[in-house]
Amino acid sequence: MAKRIIDWIDHRFPLTSFVKHELTGYPTPRNLSYWWNFGFLAGFVLVLQVATGIFLAMHYKADVTLSFDSIQHIMRDVNYGWLLRYMHSTGASAFFLVIYIHMARTLYYGSYRAPRELMWWTGQGLLLLLMATAFMGYLLPWGQMSFWGATVITNLFRATPFIGDQVVVWLRGDYTVGDATLTRFFALHYLFPFLIIGAVLIHLVALHTVRSSNPSGIDLKAKDNIPFHPYFTAKDFYGLGVFLIVYFTFVLFFPGSLIEPANNIPANPMQTPTHIVPEWYFLPFYAILRAVPNMVGGVVAMGLSVMMFAFMPFLDRSRIPGGAHFRPIFRVQFYLFLLDMLVLGYVGYIPPTSESIVIGQIATLCYFGSFFVLPFISKAEERWLIKRGLPPEVQALIASEAEEKSRRTKR
Amino acid sequence: MKKLIALLALCSAFSTAWATETKLEKIQVDTSVAAVERGIDTLMGNCHNCHTLKYVKYRNLLALGIKKDKVDAWRGDQPLDAPLTGLLPDTAAMQSFGKIPPDLSLMASAREGGPSYVYAYLLGYYITPEGMPGNHIFPETKMPDALGISAATDAAQRAEIQSKARDIVSFLAWAADPHQTERQQLGYYVIGYLLVLTLMLYFVKKQIWSRLE
Repeated sequence: MAKRIIDWIDHRFPLTSFVKHELTGYPTPRNLSYWWNFGFLAGFVLVLQVATGIFLAMHYKADVTLSFDSIQHIMRDVNYGWLLRYMHSTGASAFFLVIYIHMARTLYYGSYRAPRELMWWTGQGLLLLLMATAFMGYLLPWGQMSFWGATVITNLFRATPFIGDQVVVWLRGDYTVGDATLTRFFALHYLFPFLIIGAVLIHLVALHTVRSSNPSGIDLKAKDNIPFHPYFTAKDFYGLGVFLIVYFTFVLFFPGSLIEPANNIPANPMQTPTHIVPEWYFLPFYAILRAVPNMVGGVVAMGLSVMMFAFMPFLDRSRIPGGAHFRPIFRVQFYLFLLDMLVLGYVGYIPPTSESIVIGQIATLCYFGSFFVLPFISKAEERWLIKRGLPPEVQALIASEAEEKSRRTKR
Repeated sequence: MKKLIALLALCSAFSTAWATETKLEKIQVDTSVAAVERGIDTLMGNCHNCHTLKYVKYRNLLALGIKKDKVDAWRGDQPLDAPLTGLLPDTAAMQSFGKIPPDLSLMASAREGGPSYVYAYLLGYYITPEGMPGNHIFPETKMPDALGISAATDAAQRAEIQSKARDIVSFLAWAADPHQTERQQLGYYVIGYLLVLTLMLYFVKKQIWSRLE
């Protein structure tokens, strides 16, 4: 019976062949490490956020007089409402953690290189959508940090040339962050996840065209690819188990650690909190904003700091395969960049002092500097490595890649 | 997470940045029902005259395990679903203090330091050399020294006030997060289950990958 139904569908829609080509039989490099689990995890967290978010929206009220109370209603009176809310608020942090690791993996292994530039750029678009969604969602509890965070960030659009003031009013729907802002942020916070799902589909179509990158940095021979199912389904589910242990430890034991205490005070436009901090995942960018003394400059620097990643396919001019593994200078630069992000995050977190401002400015220079010097360093490093003599593994990789290419063009 | 990042980023190197913040004594909150009940007894006598707890309903106190006649005495003719509203009208509060006393439902989670902050604040009162009341933790406070710590001189009296403050904090911690006990109990089952599941998934993965030569 089941077979007859599937035959009926296959006659009209490529169900079996689609599942076979794109899911179960999808050829995947066998040498993928656990760092390649994070794309799947990001997809999982997206589903989790949408699922918990829809149920939260059934109890939430987007109205400045009701929203703070409605969150408490969810936390206290709705059956397992506290679980939904903590899963959603922790899920936002989990989403960024997973995405940042996913990006760090791409940077380390040079997965943004040809032919995967479009993967990287659709990913960059996804990052922007995720940031916008998280930012708008943060206003919804209508706590002090929600209100003042939204006030500070929407205010940055004043830096728009000529029509800055109008843009700010247009975004807020009012002269200050108020009921109009809250209701539109709620509507958009509900819309954006579906845009993200659409963009994820594009990301996946691109992935299935260029195939997954792998630690070797070259396209493997056909025999070194294995079907996605059961090998990577098994591996992804094991990774998911580990992720869920960490995630639920936060949800069930430390959910408050991800909620700023000031956000448990209802929004009060008459009283500014002693110091306004964004969520941890925005801290490095916030530090860059504060590092530039001029407002317009700060906004431009912050916008650029997020967008810099998009230039990576042009900036990294090395052709040495194997990611950072065989590139000692790039590897050092990668770890220094991560360290610089942590320093920026810390500087963004603490109230500004004269020392922290200087540290933030140095770290900002290092941040942009590491992108600007990359074209020169990567080329020089490549020349140096070739002159010194490439290790046999790298030569084997390059030879295998050339062979694979000529075999493909012959066919 | 924020704290983790802050720690990671070489806290010690920039320790001067924290110099302005008062160090709070970190207290262990007694989450037992007995402590919470002692806390609400003290709170009803000392705090509830001025402060509201608008997210806590009398029904929640019953569910927590407080005797019905006690709850009935507190609520008077209000329904069980009524919140613990204060007894002080806003206009009178404005006249006496110049501001409306804050709602206490979320007090234990709405300040940096949480319960430790509330504890330190309650015991932070002192008499200035000019004979005026002051508070080390929140100097701008309009609240009088409700527990009388600034006037207490002998050790026994101070210890009694400290234990009272601890009980109030226990109650406020419950009020801010009433599902905490349930959440943590569920947590042990969930994490236990996930550990077993993940271990099994690990062996499934190992077994499947062993088919590759």
